[in-house]
Amino acid sequence: MASALRAAMLRHIRVPVQTLTLTGCNSQSRILCGSLRSMSSHGDDHLDKEEVIDRVLSVVKDFPKSILPRSVTPDVHFQKDLGLDSLDNVEIVMALEEEFKLEIPDKEADKIDSCNLAIEYIYHHPMSS
Amino acid sequence: MAFTLRSVKVPPNSVSLEEARHRTFDFFRAACRSIPSVMEIYNLHDVTTVSQLRSTIASEIRKNAHITNPKVIDMLLFKGMEELNNITEHAKQRHHIIGQYVVGNQGLVQDFGTKDQGISNFLKNFYNSNYF
Repeated sequence: MASALRAAMLRHIRVPVQTLTLTGCNSQSRILCGSLRSMSSHGDDHLDKEEVIDRVLSVVKDFPKSILPRSVTPDVHFQKDLGLDSLDNVEIVMALEEEFKLEIPDKEADKIDSCNLAIEYIYHHPMSS
Repeated sequence: MAFTLRSVKVPPNSVSLEEARHRTFDFFRAACRSIPSVMEIYNLHDVTTVSQLRSTIASEIRKNAHITNPKVIDMLLFKGMEELNNITEHAKQRHHIIGQYVVGNQGLVQDFGTKDQGISNFLKNFYNSNYF
């Protein structure tokens, strides 16, 4: 009885078959990676350049060593212009990490030795906030 | 996690002064990155700030800035790493941290030398501190 019913149903049911081609996969993943991630925490809320510059400069100005706040401009070099040593340089980079909630890898952190480079790095970093 | 770090063997000596310098900076970064958790563990939010502690660590490192022997630098780095491990695994108490890194060796009561004018320098240092 049950097997007869099953056979009768299977004869009438039609399931639409879709082949998952490569293009189909791609379009799906493009949707996931696109701007439709409304619940994502890091989407379009990227920092704008002015804000990055302001915050970087305020971190440098608040550095405990005596720095003339007037002399801090976006294109100042930490060691040549501000008279800091290499340890101060690392300290400023760590302060920037704390301010923007980043973790800068050591190799990148070694290269950051001026306000300009710091601003560029932080501006292009996807996780800075 | 900190306890497992102990069993890791000591890294080989730095070959050059440049490598020792890099290791020092790496150690400084590691110490700076552990400051937030240290402040959490020892409940330091009402007595100090992250940037103050960072400057304290930097000044401790700068005390030894004149050393040029890579082996000595390696030894100091090892001691620093040991101290950092002890602090992050809560082997110390709150007043140790405050005494060493927040207030400093002088303590809260500063002696301005009004009452012991004739005392010798040796005695002054003797009374002052055990740390050199």
